[in-house]
Amino acid sequence: MTEILRLENINYSYIDGGYERQILKDLSYSFEAGKFYTILGPSGSGKTTLLSLVAGLDTAKSGKIYFNGKDIDEIGLHKFRRNAISIVFQQFNLISYLTAVENVMLAMSETDNEIPKDRKNVAYNLLERFGIVRSKADRMVNQLSGGEQQRVAIARSLASNVDLIFADEPTGNLDTATEKEIISIFKELAHDFGKTIIVVTHSDTVSAMSDQRVLLKDGKLTKIK
Amino acid sequence: MNFINRAFKNVSRRMSKTVLLILTFFLIGNLVIIGLGVSKASESAKILTRQKMRAVVTYGLDYNKIWQYADTIEDEDELEEFYNNYPRIKLEEVTSFLQDERVKTANTVNINMWYADSQNSLDFVHLGNRAEEDIDSSSGQSCWYDDVTNEQMCETYKNPYFLIKSNMFPDMIEFEDGEYQIVSGRFYTQQEIDNGSLVCLISENLAALNGVGVGDSISLAVNYLAGYMQQFGLTEEDLENRFEVIGIFSHSQPITPDAPNFDYCYPYENPDNMIFMPSTTIYMAQLPMQQKQFDYYAEMYGDDENNEYYLDPANRPSEENMASQMNINDVTLLLNDPLDVDDFVRDYQGSLSQFAALSANNEEFNRLSKPLDTLSMYANFIVWLVVINAIVIITLVTALTLKTREYEIGVLLSIGASKLKVIGQFFIELAIVAVLGFTLSVVSGSLIAKRIGNTVLEYQIASSEVSQEEEYYYNGHGFDPWNTDYTTDISLEDLVSEYEVRISPLIIGEIYVLGLGIVLISVIIPSFMIMRYNPKKILMNQN
Ligand SMILES: Nc1ncnc2c1ncn2[C@@H]1O[C@H](COP(=O)(O)OP(=O)(O)OP(=O)(O)O)[C@@H](O)[C@H]1O
Ligand SMILES: [Mg+2]
Repeated sequence: MTEILRLENINYSYIDGGYERQILKDLSYSFEAGKFYTILGPSGSGKTTLLSLVAGLDTAKSGKIYFNGKDIDEIGLHKFRRNAISIVFQQFNLISYLTAVENVMLAMSETDNEIPKDRKNVAYNLLERFGIVRSKADRMVNQLSGGEQQRVAIARSLASNVDLIFADEPTGNLDTATEKEIISIFKELAHDFGKTIIVVTHSDTVSAMSDQRVLLKDGKLTKIK
Repeated sequence: MNFINRAFKNVSRRMSKTVLLILTFFLIGNLVIIGLGVSKASESAKILTRQKMRAVVTYGLDYNKIWQYADTIEDEDELEEFYNNYPRIKLEEVTSFLQDERVKTANTVNINMWYADSQNSLDFVHLGNRAEEDIDSSSGQSCWYDDVTNEQMCETYKNPYFLIKSNMFPDMIEFEDGEYQIVSGRFYTQQEIDNGSLVCLISENLAALNGVGVGDSISLAVNYLAGYMQQFGLTEEDLENRFEVIGIFSHSQPITPDAPNFDYCYPYENPDNMIFMPSTTIYMAQLPMQQKQFDYYAEMYGDDENNEYYLDPANRPSEENMASQMNINDVTLLLNDPLDVDDFVRDYQGSLSQFAALSANNEEFNRLSKPLDTLSMYANFIVWLVVINAIVIITLVTALTLKTREYEIGVLLSIGASKLKVIGQFFIELAIVAVLGFTLSVVSGSLIAKRIGNTVLEYQIASSEVSQEEEYYYNGHGFDPWNTDYTTDISLEDLVSEYEVRISPLIIGEIYVLGLGIVLISVIIPSFMIMRYNPKKILMNQN
């Protein structure tokens, strides 16, 4: 298996009430391509913080993150975000004044990755692939259900043709039936589309469906067998 | 779905917000248009009126300054010395003004009245219905004390026929203005001025009456031989000179029988009897008369120590002394452009010789245009007030909506959009509503501005109590032969008639520029907020 993302000696701390609180301590881990990972851990253990680092939204105090062997600082965080990763949020975070299909096309316009010419059709097909039919694709996103909105968000994360897809409690606001559907989509992304999926979750249902469970505890990541 | 596209989508799909913002810009736009319209109308009314006024600047002695200076002299001898060398206008200074390319010409007009020679070889052009003998001898008397007998002598004063208008420069405002036009021949040259050559320009009617053309000469007397002159040993020949006619002119000031007091016109009141020549020519023509008079007194007071004046050869009228003895009266400079007048005065004011003064003669214009100035000031004030308020309001609205759009910003940033593009989107969104609001306001604002414009001016005039000064009228026939005032009289009506609120394409352009300026400034603070936005927040805010 090929490694896609490697974290080396990551330290992350912040100053709280005069003294330093360290969340991530000398954290090192290697993620392989085409796998569906779930990250578990107690509340406040630093899961979201870790995600923000690997997504290039924040920088660590020390340590390095390599994407396909290249330091993401050298790639440039902005470029890394544009071309290498997608994030699916807990609250779906779609742009409310755009339709579902426009939200998907949004991701296409910001990446440098190669995108097929007929973007609108590609976007419709992506949505349909995840159960959003055409009539719904042309609706404003706030006229869709929570589950549907999360499907749109997933479709958008695929639209920019990136290798890494992160999700922070993507099913936190959904009922269990919908949660299962969404997670099977993630599984499909990893196995059928070859994407590397890293999902932060509290849910056992979700982690049970992943290829690899990882625990974040005391500032370190460890594999759960 | 790039940022421009997103901006349009946001504007068209967030209708209630868009309508509110359009309404805001619409109101701002109306106020700005009214303000700009009124202010521009006031300014251009002033400019248009100014352009209709003759572009003249007067240069002369500042008598207040002279008196104030004299007051500071305590020593009597020194004071006498000061009055003996009374300040004079410097010809060099006038000549230096003429080097300025804004200046067309200068008038240093002297007016003399002369007679036909003793042979009456030159006939004047008749006007009115005065009897011949009435013209020659008016009821006026000229009286003098005989220097020998000390008896008072009087004789009937003889009326002159010809009005001699002279200048120190080879051009005159009258001719530049087209009031007088040369129909044949030419104006006198600088060389003729320098030499005091006996040359002149006469009217076409005078020329026709006497059968004189360019190149011919006419004979004139600088005075009639009054009784008192005979004691100086003056003869009629001393008073007479022949002048070469170098030019013939026409004029646009004919006096018609319906002119007031037409019947009582004297020949010198007829512009047909006006003769133009250099000021130095007058000096030269009067030279024999002046010399004999001087010599007479020099001999009479010669040994009297108190009469140093006649002992000094520099004071004797002569060709050599001409340049130093030429006295220039007030000078009027004619500029090419009436709008340059104020600048010209400002440019030279500081560097004038001690007792000289330049004046734009715009006191009356400034006084009358006060209401327009005030109006324009208020209008501009309103424009700025509205613009500043608009910036504050739009900044606040944008900053507040930014709070509600934090997720959107976070999503855009996590997708990889740059912060500049996010700012660009916000700017375009505002610019779209600004353009829409302002476009609507152009239509309504123009209509309102026209209505309001005249009302506010009337109100301003009424409240500023500007009154029209009583004008001075020459009690004659509409042609004032002694007039050397080249300034144009204006009235409040002149100014008001030029005032018209028009929303010109320029104003409309200005409004859009202002509007975009407002938008640009209004996004500055929100831009800082976006630049400082930490994209990690979008993840943290989830929980
Ligand atoms: N920049 C920061 N400034 C202050 N506190 C921070 C910062 N980054 C992280 N924290 C704190 O560090 C801790 C870890 O936060 P984080 O959101 O990563 O935990 P988490 O594992 O995602 O928790 P949860 O399961 O509740 O989502 C929290 O207590 C958070 O408030
Ligand atoms: Mg978290």
